[in-house]
Amino acid sequence: MPSSTASITPGLPSFLRTLKTSPVESSIEQFISLLKRRQIRNSRPCALATTQLLLRVVADFKGRDVAKLMARIRHVGQRLTAAQPREMAVGNIVRRVLGLVREVVEDDNEGDTPAMSEAGQSPPSNDVHQRPGLTSSISTFSPLKHGATQPTSPGEHHAQSLGESTFTHDDSSVHRPPLIGSHTSYAQPNAPIVTSLFGLFSHPSAPSPTSTPTGHSSPSMKPLTHTNLAMSELTLNDKAGTKDIKADVIEGIREILDELDQCTEQIAGYALEHIHADEIVLVHGSSTTVQKFLLTAARKRKFTVVHVESYPNDHLDTYSTVMNGRKKPGTSSGSAIDDEEESVDDMRFKPLTSAGISVILIPDAAVFAIMSRVNKVILATHTVLANGGLIASVGARNIAQAARAHQTPVVVLSGVYKLSPLYPFDTEELVEYGDSSRVLPYEDGKGVDGMEVVNPINDYVEAGLVDLYITNLGGHAPSYLYRIVADHYHVEDVNL
Amino acid sequence: MAPSATTEGPPSTTNGSSDFNVVSTYKSLLASDPELTMPVAAIEALVETLAHSHATTISETLALLTTATNALKSAISNPISLSAGTDLFTRYLVSSLRNTGGSDTDFQAVRTHLLSNGRLFVQRAKESREKIASFGRHFVRDGCTVLTNGGSRVVGALLRSAADASPSGNARFRVVYVVHAPSSPGANEGMETVRALREKGVAVATVSEAAVGYSMGMVDMVIVGAEGVVENGGIISRLGTYQMGMLAKSMGRPFYVVAESHKFVRMYPLGQYDLGIEQKVVDFKTSEDDVAEPKGEKLEESATAVDFTPPNLISGIITESGVLTPSAVSEELIKIWF
Repeated sequence: MPSSTASITPGLPSFLRTLKTSPVESSIEQFISLLKRRQIRNSRPCALATTQLLLRVVADFKGRDVAKLMARIRHVGQRLTAAQPREMAVGNIVRRVLGLVREVVEDDNEGDTPAMSEAGQSPPSNDVHQRPGLTSSISTFSPLKHGATQPTSPGEHHAQSLGESTFTHDDSSVHRPPLIGSHTSYAQPNAPIVTSLFGLFSHPSAPSPTSTPTGHSSPSMKPLTHTNLAMSELTLNDKAGTKDIKADVIEGIREILDELDQCTEQIAGYALEHIHADEIVLVHGSSTTVQKFLLTAARKRKFTVVHVESYPNDHLDTYSTVMNGRKKPGTSSGSAIDDEEESVDDMRFKPLTSAGISVILIPDAAVFAIMSRVNKVILATHTVLANGGLIASVGARNIAQAARAHQTPVVVLSGVYKLSPLYPFDTEELVEYGDSSRVLPYEDGKGVDGMEVVNPINDYVEAGLVDLYITNLGGHAPSYLYRIVADHYHVEDVNL
Repeated sequence: MAPSATTEGPPSTTNGSSDFNVVSTYKSLLASDPELTMPVAAIEALVETLAHSHATTISETLALLTTATNALKSAISNPISLSAGTDLFTRYLVSSLRNTGGSDTDFQAVRTHLLSNGRLFVQRAKESREKIASFGRHFVRDGCTVLTNGGSRVVGALLRSAADASPSGNARFRVVYVVHAPSSPGANEGMETVRALREKGVAVATVSEAAVGYSMGMVDMVIVGAEGVVENGGIISRLGTYQMGMLAKSMGRPFYVVAESHKFVRMYPLGQYDLGIEQKVVDFKTSEDDVAEPKGEKLEESATAVDFTPPNLISGIITESGVLTPSAVSEELIKIWF
């Protein structure tokens, strides 16, 4: 770690400050050590730092070889995720950027091949090779991936390119940022019919139908053609390499940054649809997202908020949120797994009480007792997983179970950047344990000697306990999240 | 649409060469390759049908396919799985023709593609099984115990792959395999998988169907195969799967289904007795008739009988395109039908 940062408290602000000036490699090292020492923690700071760092990595990248660029991003991503596997936002952003590069390359190649040509008929057509991404057939609805769908038959492709060439082109340029609201995707009735179900029949993409590597497009072929894919990816990249895609990629990364910026406001924009007059809403911890959400609703409606203090990891921030509308400045490293760091724009923060909302602070143990009066539970989250489950600060599962017992709806607020394509094969390894002196201080020598104290920081809440997710794209049922995952990540990037 | 030259009379199975029989082709395909699933065998049989026919127009071909499909469906006692294959085939033909505008050359191209790549489809279907196995083996963690049933080849492939994947070479998971009573005709089903797993060093216990509830307490997850995955995300699977799903749900164990996506079938059963097939699982009687003769038949019946597991019992469907939630199934089906 560069000695220049030793003077200031290491953390997100200091990292972002030095990022501009210090060389890329040392920035990566610095970020890794910050992650390891948990000096940057929680989804949003991690996502921000990762995005900024990748921006530097891409900008710093010399050469025009797309494959090398992707390998570079992937390599950085591997190091970052290895440093702190539980901060899944890091991996999410890396995957988003990788997907971005793929899409930029695809768009460029489409621009290369005259759209009206018989691309389908010419056997080694670029797009056939270059679209291993499409093995995710689930995502074929998305307008983003539209132009990228694999032809099922040459004839079909031909017809499509005739019909859709213009559409595909301007559309994709508009839609390049992976910000698509997936609900809009149904608006395209003429979407090419290409699905995994037809994967069985898809054309062998090799010129001779008898050759063994048949159809990169077919999802079923992936394990066999892995090396093949790598090769074709290389060749395609040679072709694409003549173009400089860096500018496009950087622009895309900036759009991710914008998304991170606006995400909280966007989520808050849905507040009025979900919080009604005179409701009693239960919230937990000190999440800025939730606070903004409630404030937005408070502008128009009067309701009551029951605030669970979330002792011992987050209670100080919770008090501060109730009193001042924001976390205690400078305690971000101490705050539990929730989501936000201290925001710089604190002008907009004010306590809910100043908006005329009555806030009731309760200890965690009172959750079940008070749940019978609550109309709605609103939870913040650390990470949302592909199966609809989520990781949130400890106590969330308790609340969710109590809500289930009383049939109270549970609404989870989460930016899309927190949505991870990973599947929780083992939920126990997702739970992190923290400083047990928060539960029992070390000054209490007798107690420390006499018992074992554990302080889990987060909880895994299974999908069945959540009724609705609100992301910056809108409200989704937990069972629908797979779709948003498919819209935002390419299958090859899931395993970094 | 191309002009349909149906002046030669209504299309029938005799449209092709008269000695070709789609049902016997289907059956011999299934018999010749134990690795073949019913939907794929049905697709193969339809490809053969196409090859033997002289149909030159689209409507002739479609009529021919309809006749062949109906012949197949009526000849097989439980055509649910099969119909997934035939539907997929027909939809593929129709949608590729629709997209081409239905000109004559395009029709020929599609037809040639289907005819010349018959083996390829089978190949891919088998490979998708391997793909599922490579996805699904991550579910089987060290130290866990898996409950499974039936003779599903995908489940077998998944468990074998999980055994192979363990870095030390020692498989560190255990399997509880639900098998039929030894006297029943379906008893050997699954024994092959059991044997293969034991060879790989996986500890396998075989229990009877009655012991499912008993063993559920020591099981970490349930993995089953399926004959068909229906629109609402539920599955049609061998008799006994439904109760496993209910027990797993009540004890909070995850219940995973492994199925290739060509098993997705467009039907929406509302319950056990809404499958559209005749099953004599529950047979009311007022007298004890002689046990010797019909019993063999009855056992045979129960070995092939199926039940319907509703989607709310299913945690995830592991397909070759990833782990889907049950609600994702309808979307995939909608994509090919509408």
